[in-house]
Amino acid sequence: MDMTANPGLHVENIVKRFGSLTALDNVSASFRPGEIHAVLGENGAGKSTLMGILSGFVVPDSGSVKLDGEPVPVGRPFDCKRTGIEMIHQHFTLVSEFSIAENFAMSRLPGLVGASNVSERSQPSLAAAARLGWEMEPGRKVSSLSVGAQQRVEILKALGGNARVIIFDEPTAVLSPDEVSDLFRVLRQLRDDGHVVILIAHKLSEVLSVADRVTVLRRGKWIASAPIADVTERTLAEWMVGELPAPLPKRSESNLKRGVMAVDVSVLGDRGETAVRNVNFQIQRGEILGLGGVDGNGQLELAEALVGIRKVIGSLLFESAAMDPAKARIAYVPQDRQHDGLAMGMSIEENLLITGHRKPELRSGPFLRFAKLHKWSKLLVKRFSVKANSPADRVAGLSGGNQQKVVVSRALDEQPDLLVVVNPTRGLDIRATEYVHSKILEARDGGAAVALFSTDLDEIYALADRVMFLSRGELIEDAGSESLFGAKA
Amino acid sequence: MNGFLRFGLMLAGLIVVLILTLAAFQLPIVDSVKLIFEGAFADKFAWSRSAVKMTPLLLTGLGMVIAWRAGVYNIGGEGQFVVGAIFGAAIGKALIGANATGMPGGSVLILCGCAVGGAVWAWVAGWLYVRRGVEVVISTILLNFIAIQLLGYAVSGPLQEQKRQVPQSDLLPESLMLARFDRQTDVHWGTVLAVVMAVLLTVFLYRTVMGYRLRLVGDNPKVARVNYIDPGKVQLSSMALSGAMCGLAGGVEYLGLVGQLGTTFPQQWGFLGIPVALLGGLNPMLTAGAAFFFGALFAGTENLARFTPAGTTIVYVIQATAVLAYVGLSGLKKARPKPEEETESTPS
Repeated sequence: MDMTANPGLHVENIVKRFGSLTALDNVSASFRPGEIHAVLGENGAGKSTLMGILSGFVVPDSGSVKLDGEPVPVGRPFDCKRTGIEMIHQHFTLVSEFSIAENFAMSRLPGLVGASNVSERSQPSLAAAARLGWEMEPGRKVSSLSVGAQQRVEILKALGGNARVIIFDEPTAVLSPDEVSDLFRVLRQLRDDGHVVILIAHKLSEVLSVADRVTVLRRGKWIASAPIADVTERTLAEWMVGELPAPLPKRSESNLKRGVMAVDVSVLGDRGETAVRNVNFQIQRGEILGLGGVDGNGQLELAEALVGIRKVIGSLLFESAAMDPAKARIAYVPQDRQHDGLAMGMSIEENLLITGHRKPELRSGPFLRFAKLHKWSKLLVKRFSVKANSPADRVAGLSGGNQQKVVVSRALDEQPDLLVVVNPTRGLDIRATEYVHSKILEARDGGAAVALFSTDLDEIYALADRVMFLSRGELIEDAGSESLFGAKA
Repeated sequence: MNGFLRFGLMLAGLIVVLILTLAAFQLPIVDSVKLIFEGAFADKFAWSRSAVKMTPLLLTGLGMVIAWRAGVYNIGGEGQFVVGAIFGAAIGKALIGANATGMPGGSVLILCGCAVGGAVWAWVAGWLYVRRGVEVVISTILLNFIAIQLLGYAVSGPLQEQKRQVPQSDLLPESLMLARFDRQTDVHWGTVLAVVMAVLLTVFLYRTVMGYRLRLVGDNPKVARVNYIDPGKVQLSSMALSGAMCGLAGGVEYLGLVGQLGTTFPQQWGFLGIPVALLGGLNPMLTAGAAFFFGALFAGTENLARFTPAGTTIVYVIQATAVLAYVGLSGLKKARPKPEEETESTPS
């Protein structure tokens, strides 16, 4: 490795404008080898744009990027890869019908002609796996792997080349606590091997536990860079937003009323498997039941059964009657906003209308009342501070966090009887998270029974009045919390 | 980009394509364009020809808009057009047989029959898709073939003329035909009907709850399902509605122009509706614009054909080029990478 006078990755005076918006305003930063460098910021702070520039997907208006003193070609993703800048995307770039080895070989294929030589071309990645202590079955199909394992494949794919800089975009969002600590171990090892490791993150606690240095962006501007020893959670939060979250109130006992009762409930998954097996639980009105656990253990199926769009085997009652979406007002924040939450080809207003078109005051006979509708959508956009010029803007143009705000705002527009939320704050910044949390609490205090599915333990413990865990479709009582359900009914 | 601006650009592009096509056919460009323009707009006869050609194009185009907007790719406009006309001809024959050709509203009855016929034909494909998972693109193409054979059977069997000489139905009496505005030209009430349908469909899609649900299902059926809207139901009705529109196109052609069914009745209007709807960006009013453009082009190139060896083939060349360009350009737009976040947030 050529260690010139100026090793590492340096961005200098980067400016990037999208129309009237300045996404990056004269940002400079240095990422050194042998360091895990976290980049923090709220939604819209400019993190993704900066990473897009580093990996060649976004062309800056001005400024330069240098790796070990050499200028990096901007706006050419393949050349960036060749110079050794690899990005681990939040949405994996794997071909799920290919085997692990084929995915490894994929980015090193010779072009259109020539033998694929998969076993030979996948060697560097497999060697990296051995070095990192990960077991890989090269012949296994990627689609059969868990999310965490897929991420490992993604990382190893990046390590198969001459990676100098590895950028991790929100890598912990999809992982269980065990997987997170394993990922951190690998981040440290990559650092000790002399790589430049860049970590984009939301969660302050994670940044504090793994990063060596942190850079904070706010609204496109560089705010601060500091060694991790010099900062606390409080200083970071202040840099990011300038204000701090207040502690959250718990339920008030007087609000408890009968709510959801599930007795011996089983739910089938999409492939006919039993995704949820004989679970029993109760959610009173006025309380939040936190349902924790790693993704893919029946959360999605149970949530869909609760809101009445998936068939239930067993008895699922609301107010002692069969659950009926036509009678109880059910609000749902689905897990995957792009697939289940939003119509990406439509405007913000039309996406709010997904629940709004049932509101009697917004329709008259078969027609929609547009004057009222515009007023209503403007109100929601304002109340949830969705960052958009107008509700007529396309929802696809919003950042992930703002898209989530659209989904949450329409679900929580009216006081629901039952609120089912799945990872409601995934991808949201501190301020938006705080707001969504306050709305969930408001719904609870207004008398809703709330089922909070979340892979984020901090979130569960901050909000839930009781906690249970889903593991392989079965419910496990949290040892640390009191049980209202008691013995099986 | 604004839909109307895009439409304007597209029209400009089409005119460039027209000129290039003329050049490829080695025709004198200025003279040819003049001939086409005269054929489409020179006098009331030209205008009439443009309008008459526009009418079935607009109706089948609107049919495509309804289905495609719901995410069902109906390619069976042609079959629905034909089956609609067969239903209409059956009612026509019954009216003639019952000596009721003078009955008021007879033509309306026949038109309704045509809409029902088209709806039934499309519903078959819709049902196969929603309940059995058969791709609509495949089933509607196959149903087109069946419809053509059905027409051949009908006009040489149950619907054949009383003389039983030629495989065609009896000519409808004037009283059952759609009224014309002017004895000298062919423009009939069907043209008005088509334009009214475009307006109604605009209102339906953008102003009503059902139209909203239809667009929502087309954009993301999973979101609809999660919000208690059954995508299958919506798609099935959109298919039926789409077929009704194509069947109506068949009826308008039958009652407005030809007055009888024969094996040459299908003139591919069902297929041509697809590029018209695509160029209209699946928006009813813009589809009306696209239908008028191509209607005028048909009328104009027919005039060109009188003076040169090139015929209306030019229209097909232009349509094909336009669709390829359209699909290619929308693909290009998608392929362009854009950052996932932040592109829109406005610092307030």
